[in-house]
Amino acid sequence: MISFVIRRVAQSVLVLLIVGLVAFSMFRFVGDPIDNMLGQERTQEDIDRLRTQLGLDQPFPVQYYKFLEGAAQGNFGVSYRQGRPVSEILLERAPATLELAAVSAIFAVILGVVLGVYTAIRRTGFWANFIMSASLIGVSLPTFLIGILLIYLFSVELGWLPSFGRGEVVDLGWWSTGFLTESGLKALILPSITLGLYQMTLIMRLVRSEMLEVLRQDYIRFARARGLAARTVHFRHALKNTMVPVITVIGLQLGAIIAFAIITETVFQWPGVGLLFINAIQFVDIPVMAAYLMLISVMFVGINLIVDLLYFAIDPRLRG
Amino acid sequence: MTDAPLPEGDKAVRRPSRLAAALDSDFFYSFRRSPVAVVSFIVAAILVLSAVFAPWIAPTNPFDPASLNLMNGFSAPMTPNAFTGESFFMGTDDQGRDVYSTILYGMRISLFVGVAAVLFAMVLGITLGLLAGYVGGWTETIIMRIADVQLTFPSILVAMLIFGIAKGFTPVEYRDQMAIWVLILAIGLSDWVQFARVVRGATLVEKGKDYVQAARLIGRSPMAIMGRHILPNVLSPVLVIATISLALAIIAEATLSFLGVGAPPTQPSLGTLIRIGQGFLFSGEWWILFFPAMTLLALALSVNLLGDWLRDALNPKLR
Amino acid sequence: MFRTFTAAAALAVLAPVAQANEFTWAVTTDPQTLDPHAVNSAPVLGFLNNVYEGLVRRGKDMTIEPALATSWEPIGDGEGWRFSLREGVTFQDGADFTAEDVLFSYQRASDENSDTRSWFAPVSDVIVVDDFTVDVMTTAPNPIFPDSIANWMIMDSGWAEANAAGLPDKENGNFATLNANGTGAFQVTAREPGLRTVLEPFDGWWGEVEHNVTRAELTPIQNPATAVAALLSGDVDFINPVPIQDVARLNGDGNVNVIQGIEARVIMLGFPHEAEALKYSEDVEGANPFADVRVRQAVAHAVNVPAILQTIMRGNAEEVSQLVSPAMRGYSPSLAARPEFDVEKAKALLAEAGYPDGFSFGLKCPNNRYLNDEAVCQAVTGMLAQIGLTATLDAMPVQNYWPELRADNYDMYLLGWSPGTFDAEHPVRFLASTPNEEKRLGSWNFGGFSNARVDELLPMIQSEIDDTVRQAMLDETAAILQDEVAYVPLYVQPLVWGTGSNVSLTQRPDNFFILRWVTVDG
Repeated sequence: MISFVIRRVAQSVLVLLIVGLVAFSMFRFVGDPIDNMLGQERTQEDIDRLRTQLGLDQPFPVQYYKFLEGAAQGNFGVSYRQGRPVSEILLERAPATLELAAVSAIFAVILGVVLGVYTAIRRTGFWANFIMSASLIGVSLPTFLIGILLIYLFSVELGWLPSFGRGEVVDLGWWSTGFLTESGLKALILPSITLGLYQMTLIMRLVRSEMLEVLRQDYIRFARARGLAARTVHFRHALKNTMVPVITVIGLQLGAIIAFAIITETVFQWPGVGLLFINAIQFVDIPVMAAYLMLISVMFVGINLIVDLLYFAIDPRLRG
Repeated sequence: MTDAPLPEGDKAVRRPSRLAAALDSDFFYSFRRSPVAVVSFIVAAILVLSAVFAPWIAPTNPFDPASLNLMNGFSAPMTPNAFTGESFFMGTDDQGRDVYSTILYGMRISLFVGVAAVLFAMVLGITLGLLAGYVGGWTETIIMRIADVQLTFPSILVAMLIFGIAKGFTPVEYRDQMAIWVLILAIGLSDWVQFARVVRGATLVEKGKDYVQAARLIGRSPMAIMGRHILPNVLSPVLVIATISLALAIIAEATLSFLGVGAPPTQPSLGTLIRIGQGFLFSGEWWILFFPAMTLLALALSVNLLGDWLRDALNPKLR
Repeated sequence: MFRTFTAAAALAVLAPVAQANEFTWAVTTDPQTLDPHAVNSAPVLGFLNNVYEGLVRRGKDMTIEPALATSWEPIGDGEGWRFSLREGVTFQDGADFTAEDVLFSYQRASDENSDTRSWFAPVSDVIVVDDFTVDVMTTAPNPIFPDSIANWMIMDSGWAEANAAGLPDKENGNFATLNANGTGAFQVTAREPGLRTVLEPFDGWWGEVEHNVTRAELTPIQNPATAVAALLSGDVDFINPVPIQDVARLNGDGNVNVIQGIEARVIMLGFPHEAEALKYSEDVEGANPFADVRVRQAVAHAVNVPAILQTIMRGNAEEVSQLVSPAMRGYSPSLAARPEFDVEKAKALLAEAGYPDGFSFGLKCPNNRYLNDEAVCQAVTGMLAQIGLTATLDAMPVQNYWPELRADNYDMYLLGWSPGTFDAEHPVRFLASTPNEEKRLGSWNFGGFSNARVDELLPMIQSEIDDTVRQAMLDETAAILQDEVAYVPLYVQPLVWGTGSNVSLTQRPDNFFILRWVTVDG
């Protein structure tokens, strides 16, 4: 077990190095930061001077090495756009994204598992079929369109919910939360639905499909035959055994939620790291882009590790 | 698996008829019994056929800039244009393009991108997932670490990266065609990991089962074991993912278009049309958004519903 | 009824301590810094105009009016300008404003770390005569110097030095990046980059207060549809820009007003004058048809500008024949006619130039820089196709666009130009002069257009004091540029602002939003 963890951590470091490398080689295709940093009346001389100042004239390996050197010490450099340390900016923005992702994920998992189990148990029922079909409408339209349609309906036409932003936030130390004010909670509703809808449907369908297979297994039939209550059979035995692929997918989807937050945050002007990243792309703010990707990588590697460990915990057959 | 084994010679001769019989009985019986499946099939078939035959069905060719008249722009559906007096079934967009024709042509692109991307992701994902799960060791480590790296990059980023690199190497006159292939590559590459992870997970479980051990003992080649024994057992989750992936791929293309890296506006896909149309949501030209969005919805929904049914129908364990 | 109720409830939630006149305004781009000398870009300078002030400022009609200087006059024979400074002005931190601050701000703004450096290219020296008199010496007579420094903002020398912000630092930022201390009507009380910036009235301001704003909040909203939704739902009081297509809808909404004007920005097509060959042609090899003036004329006649304005711009823009709009100083009224839309004439010109069947080429276009830029390029592609010029349109985000143009990767491109000085000399210097690194000329002349007479006229225009003579020279330049079809000017981009109907304000043609002209009802 311990050697397994050590091996995985070593591999994870390698993954992070590769991500950094790929990210860095990609930046030269995103655009040129110089044009955004200088005004209309710049000259070639200004361009060259700034390029030297930022170290962009140095060969790629040197730039990469410098970045790694800084990152190892927790220093991701200074944002080209804001002129502030990137780590400071990320810390400031992270709570917004994490709160949004958490609410979306909880929404997706709870509703997904509940509806998945329900539609599996009542496989032929009208409501089960209705839920199965209706849930597909939500994933048959692009996220950005769903977001805009929600804004149109609930903010513009009905005037019930705010059209953008986080509402009033409360600072708890360095963490700013929207959970403690009414406007903050209201502001969470539309973005969370937009972001969690796809994951909810995916989890629901997967839970249902796995449940249906498990319910066919002999031991479930046997349990039924023994006269165990339906609830015990469904939840103690069946649901537990559907969990291996479901946990894999939930783990993967947690990452996808963070990644897709980019779109949702753009549509709702949600001040999180996704929006920061889109801004960084538009501005070719290389330090911010690099730090964001590293952050996401660390998170994914962590999630992967946890999923693998859960495999061990849940499925005894894998321990051999 | 429930059938009794047949002598080799017999099998070769009798197999087709068995397949045909199966189609005749179970498959079509189940299909006829499911109104959702029948309706979805009809809708999907109409959409796919009209996309394939778009050049013969569409009244105009929206991809030919010389044929467009800007003054036709913003005609409402079935209402004569204020300047030119021309009338269009589903109206026109800001460039004076007939929305109906543009949807037909756009659906061709969306379908092509979606199907090709999913096939690409599926083949890649299944192959690597089986390899990782069955062979294990360093092969597994390398494949799954690549998967980690891949997952780390949001699909949007992968697309932008591939777009950027491809742009650097492609002359501009090929870029219009290139955009499509880049989209396929980008969407496919961001999707394969899902297949690989699930296939690997299931393979790990199947590998330990007695029948696989038995097959190994009697000396069947790893390829045969993976293909004949393990693969059929992991197909159920793969089908679930592939179903959603097809619709997802079509929608992913739309999302990329929202971020400015989709199909070019001169040869728009359904997603590009929606991206353009959402700009007119508040302005009253509802048809520029409504018709492409409804077409996308109908397409993705019918594919998803059909996939749902197909999954249940093809799964022997559920009969 | 119901809607007003919920809107009021929402407002109450947003502002628990109900203050009389709160104003929220949304822009697409957050000002990237609060340092008035670090970045010469419209979002930064436009915002900081509410906090900092220059010696002179622009009024509601763009005329130059006194600000920190009460008057100014030329020195001797055009050796420079003498500015008399306003007395009794204090910075927002309480320090007094004196000539030392002007000298300091000159040194700071003209340093090589400053993006505003080019404004001071004609300046040879700045001399403090006494506490409230400053002489700005120029290398040559410079009649438009006061016009060119309306955005040169004065910073307190003591504040800057005490906070180690003596020079702008683009790379690492410094105190002045996040904090501001001007003499203007508003002071920054909170700054969260990319999220919100809060302004409150500066009680010690020297001027007469016209506004009734008690607190203002700037918030960036990037997605145009979200911004429109925010305005319609009353979450913000002001958005800029309003997407052109939503003008009619917003006009029809009783709670919202649309304010339209003509901006200074001219949208035009550019050519690769210097190129040996087309880069992206399938049928022309080793030759550059655009080097032939007849081909460029054909392009000018083939583009149906009225149709573009009618449909894509929905009647919200005006066509233009020169590199500046009619509202600019030095515009040539006698040359106001655009080449008329005439497909036959365009075809004839092409045939004359040896391309009766046209040719193919690559058109580059940004897709997030100008209003509806991509749609305009698409329309241009269609129109050029009618005369056999088949363009492959390559539209891209602006961060990829400029590097492509700098690398000469285009056969034709779209460009918008807004003269910072509001004078016709400005585009001549940047777009029409033969590129010359040393003299800082033609730095945006990507195609390398070059005309000896234009190069000869420019320094004469720059130093001419007599307005009539100067105008004659500008007319001559404009005529040459038209005859040579150096560019094909298409239209002047419209300014479209949206406000809540309880807000009144003034729209300045440079698209700067001036908070001290805002009044909010109840």
